[in-house]
Amino acid sequence: MIESILRFSIERRWLVLSFILVLIGGGVWSYQHLPIDAVPDITNVQVQVNTEAPGYSPLESEQRITYPVETALAGLPNLAYTRSISRYGLSQVTVVFEEGTDIYFARNLINGRLGAIKSTLPAGLEPEMGPISTGLGEIFMYTIEALPGAIQADGKAYDATALREIQDWIIKPQLALVPGVIEINTIGGYTKQYHVTPSPQLMLTFGVTLGDISEALRDNNSNRGAGYIEANGRQLLVRSPGQLQSLSDIENVVIKTIDAAPVTIADVGEVAIGKELRTGAATRDGRETVLGTAMMLVGENSREVSLAVALKLEGVRASLPEGIKVDTVYDRTTLVDKAIATVQKNLIEGALLVVVVLFLLLGNVRAALITAAIIPLAMLATISGMVQMGVSANLMSLGALDFGLIVDGAVIIVENAIRRLAEAQAKNGKLALKQRLELVFDATNEVIRPSLFGVIIITVVYIPLFSLTGVEGKMFHPMAATVVMALLSALVLSLTVVPAAVAVFMSGQVREKESLLIVATKSLYKPLLILAMKLRWLVLSAAIGLVFFSAWLATTLGSEFIPNLNEGDIALHALRIPGTGLEQAVAMQTLLEERVKAFPQVEKVFAKIGTAEVATDPMPPNVADNFVMLKPRSEWPDPSQTQGELVAEMEAAVKLLPGNNYEFTQPIQMRFNELISGVRTDLGIKVFGDDLEQLLKSAEAILDVVETIDGAADGKVEQVSGLPMLSVIPQRMTLARYGLSVRALQDTVATAIGGESVGLVFEGDRRFELVVRLPETLRRDVDSLGDLPVPLPNGGYVPLSEVAVIELAPAPNQISRENGKRRVVVTANVRGRDLGSFIGDVKQRINEEIELPPGYWLDYGGTFKQMESASKRLSIVVPITLAIILGLLIMAFSSVKDAAIIFTGVPLALTGGVIALWLRDMPLSISSGVGFIALSGVAVLNGLVMLAFIRQLWHEQGDLYLSIIDGAMIRLRPVLMTALVASLGFVPMALNTGTGAEVQRPLATVVIGGIVSSTLLTLFVLPILYRMAHGRDVKRG
Amino acid sequence: MNIFKVLVFVHALLGALMCHASGDTGNQKAQQQAAPAAIKGPHGGVLLQDGETSLELAIFERGVPPEYRAWISHQGQVITPSTTQAAVLQVRIVRLGGIVNTFTFAYHGDAEQGGYWLGDGVVEEPHSFDVAASLSIAGKTHQWAWESHEGRVAIKKEIAEKAGIRTALAAPGRIQRTLSAYGSLVSGSENLSHIRARFPGQITRVDVNVGDRVKQGQVIAQIESSESLKRYSIFAPIAGIVTARHANTGELALAQPLFSITNLAKVWAELKIFPQQRAEVKSGQVVTIAAAASEQMSSIRQIIPTDDDPYVLARVPLFNVEGDNSSPWYPGQIVEANIVVEEVDVPLMVDKRALQSFRDWTVVFIQVGENYEIRPLELGRSDKTHVEVLSGLNAGDSYVLENSYLIKADIEKSGASHDH
Repeated sequence: MIESILRFSIERRWLVLSFILVLIGGGVWSYQHLPIDAVPDITNVQVQVNTEAPGYSPLESEQRITYPVETALAGLPNLAYTRSISRYGLSQVTVVFEEGTDIYFARNLINGRLGAIKSTLPAGLEPEMGPISTGLGEIFMYTIEALPGAIQADGKAYDATALREIQDWIIKPQLALVPGVIEINTIGGYTKQYHVTPSPQLMLTFGVTLGDISEALRDNNSNRGAGYIEANGRQLLVRSPGQLQSLSDIENVVIKTIDAAPVTIADVGEVAIGKELRTGAATRDGRETVLGTAMMLVGENSREVSLAVALKLEGVRASLPEGIKVDTVYDRTTLVDKAIATVQKNLIEGALLVVVVLFLLLGNVRAALITAAIIPLAMLATISGMVQMGVSANLMSLGALDFGLIVDGAVIIVENAIRRLAEAQAKNGKLALKQRLELVFDATNEVIRPSLFGVIIITVVYIPLFSLTGVEGKMFHPMAATVVMALLSALVLSLTVVPAAVAVFMSGQVREKESLLIVATKSLYKPLLILAMKLRWLVLSAAIGLVFFSAWLATTLGSEFIPNLNEGDIALHALRIPGTGLEQAVAMQTLLEERVKAFPQVEKVFAKIGTAEVATDPMPPNVADNFVMLKPRSEWPDPSQTQGELVAEMEAAVKLLPGNNYEFTQPIQMRFNELISGVRTDLGIKVFGDDLEQLLKSAEAILDVVETIDGAADGKVEQVSGLPMLSVIPQRMTLARYGLSVRALQDTVATAIGGESVGLVFEGDRRFELVVRLPETLRRDVDSLGDLPVPLPNGGYVPLSEVAVIELAPAPNQISRENGKRRVVVTANVRGRDLGSFIGDVKQRINEEIELPPGYWLDYGGTFKQMESASKRLSIVVPITLAIILGLLIMAFSSVKDAAIIFTGVPLALTGGVIALWLRDMPLSISSGVGFIALSGVAVLNGLVMLAFIRQLWHEQGDLYLSIIDGAMIRLRPVLMTALVASLGFVPMALNTGTGAEVQRPLATVVIGGIVSSTLLTLFVLPILYRMAHGRDVKRG
Repeated sequence: MNIFKVLVFVHALLGALMCHASGDTGNQKAQQQAAPAAIKGPHGGVLLQDGETSLELAIFERGVPPEYRAWISHQGQVITPSTTQAAVLQVRIVRLGGIVNTFTFAYHGDAEQGGYWLGDGVVEEPHSFDVAASLSIAGKTHQWAWESHEGRVAIKKEIAEKAGIRTALAAPGRIQRTLSAYGSLVSGSENLSHIRARFPGQITRVDVNVGDRVKQGQVIAQIESSESLKRYSIFAPIAGIVTARHANTGELALAQPLFSITNLAKVWAELKIFPQQRAEVKSGQVVTIAAAASEQMSSIRQIIPTDDDPYVLARVPLFNVEGDNSSPWYPGQIVEANIVVEEVDVPLMVDKRALQSFRDWTVVFIQVGENYEIRPLELGRSDKTHVEVLSGLNAGDSYVLENSYLIKADIEKSGASHDH
């Protein structure tokens, strides 16, 4: 079949070549539809169900909302697990589906279930699904500020409420229209509210209660349509406007009349624009601000969407009031552009190096160009494939592309063809067309099998990557898919286009100038090879020694599981103790930001504290997400400083500030962590059960046990308590004496402190809540809360302290649940000990020493689980892959012995990789693992090409020793070429320091190091092994 | 990559080729002594060792006030007073601010049944100090010193200043404890007069109208008695304002009240005192009464019970200034009252803003140089701004007044441990 394809390609060469145009056209079209982002999306298929429950404490929100929602969602098809948190004012249930579930299908299911339980939830609470977005979704952020001296229409300076109003009613509606934007999320400032703040004393004077006020406001705030009248042929619409429109409207609402004298709102209290009880704040450069975040719809092109948002924002600026500044603080385009630039630079430099090498070694411009043409063609084909497969272009997926590897197959074919052409021309002079075509066919056919097998083997070695699951899978599947696609398209091209092009373009005089380099190498190689054949035992034992040495060396290298992609910006969590108030957090944030801003490398710093309007990331007020945007490196005092060093410096500086703990990370990484939100330590022991106190007690007991086990470090119990709570506990007996119900008491307390929403005030299109609550001075005065008069049903009052006990005590800060059960997690890391035995010890000790009450149980999790399952899978998949390769080799040679000889190339190739890593101080990682994978492929390919030729010669000539020497000499050039192009193609990546270097450097380092050792092996050890293996055959024969 | 590595590599390569068996590099003997606080003894205390002598020192506080307990062993032998080797143990602790406590130890209990050396005196909270232990045994004195800090944190001066951490000195002061109550104003019965005719008759003259101010004894009407047909005058019995008039010339004055005169110079606030406050409110206590825009100090005159209601009424007189037309106090008005139930000079008090909760304690943070440390307090009486300190703090200590939360946050974030 291969022969017929070859024959077809050579005979219909023009037709085949014209297919290139189709390929180019398809590639260019695909490029325009290729989703581009900086990093691969590692978010799982999840839907957040958020229910805002103003005023609900963690316990209430769990009991009244989280539980019914969770129960309703249990048993959905394709459900992986649910987890939930219940906090002050918020219940969030995260539903995680099996990989590959269609997100819209999943949301539809959830929608149905939520609809069914709506009636069981407290009135007025609506569970809502979070935006259809992923960890890559936060693509654009901006802040809104007033320039100094800017004043509002009413002459006042802009405050946080006014800025928020601009965001909510001018900016947000316009940006939300940008295609690809699913949500504009706002944090900071205060949502404008109309506040009625009655004074308790005045209410007593007039005998009105908070309830009376609320009722009066509700009853006096609506427009009503009243149909129409037809009169004199006209149709008159009738309406009765009664909406409250201004502060004075509200003030004039009559609550009741005393002896014909109306008591109005103004009589009992004040009406003013007030601040909501907010759950989050935003700061920038040490000042409070309003921060908007554009979230991208899942699957969109982040670069395009953020460009569109930026463009729209330009337009929005024109519609802003005088003196208002909107400032872009985070724009994904920057990062994506940087990432693309890195990839482009690497690919272009790699491609150029490959072309130069080809040219130098082949000594023939046309041949070099034909080979080099494979690069863009394979690239275009790959892009088409990526679009079809839904793989996005990013640092990971494009990071492992090496043009050297891609052209390997073509190099071998072209090299052989021009060698044969040159030989033939030297013998016969100029060739006739038919002769030439025949010769090209022969030359191609001669090497097509080894090179086909080689490329297929390289492709096969990537298969283990597909067995990775979870985050690792999400990061490396695109990489493997892209490389495999590139290799396959190169394979097809070398079968069709390369022979056709050789047939068409190598028509003239083929002068094969062996370049000086090759000649010199050859003259050096031959004596060395002969010497090696003599000292074969020494060479072999050296090689074996080297393998063992590097196996030992590999164990000394550190290891890291997942590479960290450098995003060029810093994110840091500032963590404060639970119970820290928003105002306090803002004050602490100010100090922190001023310090960070003092670094000359920092361009701006901004932060989100607490939870935004849409609770995509529900943080309590004691946690702040800081984003530190850095200046371009050229503006740094020391441009050569690494980001790691800067982070260390920054950490040392901010450590001095009191009251904060920090976790340094990066913006996208932070978002991923928040969304995936699993246990991020080596070991996580989850205690499930009912009673929070018992859970905490058991968890602490477990921690005590774990900490005594050898190797345990950073042991911690999840922070679940410590939220100071002021409980107003009704005294039922006294309440009864005053004729009050518990509910009446709670209503009073809730309205007084939390406020009660009694309707909306419309200002044109804008609508604002109308809220009744106590004046701020009284609300904040915890000491005199007990003096609050509670109205009695038959008039009169009783102080709150008379009918309720007021208690300040720590309460649950948040309640976490998993799969429908409360849980507390104990986490720990392992240092200086292997994970497996540690986990075994932990399980045994806990079984022996911890006794859980009935109804409580444990579950072990943590990254050890992922590592365990990954290594379990790999331990199956890797041997299978090796078996497949061996099988392919046996197929190629129909000889187990030869296949085994070639296979020895793999360990020797790995030696070089290990040594290169060690020399560059790099740990073993999945990235370097991918390098090793590519390496084994190249090693096998080289061996294949070499042995196939030697074998053929041996069969033709019959003399083993001579065939080996001759074959090796003839194959020196292609072996060197494939080795050189493959390693040089990776050189730019290995030296890369830009964005994305973390992934590419280890990979490229391994490949380059490995290729050096593998080439040496192919050139010296393989011939020796071949001779030793077949020497006996010869003797026998 | 550096030259060194390359050399190592080449060396290793040669080594591997020559099949060298890698030799034992020799154990490096650990020379440095571990920090004493790091080692825990069998009784959960700090284990101190010096040659063949070892001392374990623990703070024991289960069921008793915190006390020092120690276990001594020498040459593998547990030391008690009955053993041949006599031991003298002394522990000295220096707290932040330079206060020194010294403990000497005596043996307690039976060596066979969990006996121990017991330090004299209570180890007061917080257990945060620099410890120096000296043990004389077999003619040799062993010394150990280490830091045992808890609830202590250091913040640089300029950062503290920037963060708005301000301190104040703990000092004596006056605590004015108040309660608040609501009540309504009534006019006193002595200030309200309903005037009737002495003898029925025809009204011949009326001199005053509603709203007129009258003096005591002023003639306000004349009536011609129906029996004697003599005219007699009606006098105002009290000074005040005429608030009602049911009399016109020519009408008959029978038994009905003709005029009402109210005197607003003095009105009474009847404050509702609910059961919980009952015990504290007494007559004679000073009260500040406030309504709308006015405020007046007065004192409780009487406390009277009500018929059915669960509260009692504390009656407080209020005075409207004579001639002042605005008359801020009027019957029917609802007022808010702050009753001073206790006013006392206390030897030591702190500002309430300084208080924070820490574990089960209410604490303030004292400042010594750049160090801050918790001081668990026992608190007494308090008013709106200050609270009396019964123990835990000394007069003259500099405590954090403003932004004390930052100190709490900083101590708790570093995962304060309670070491015993």
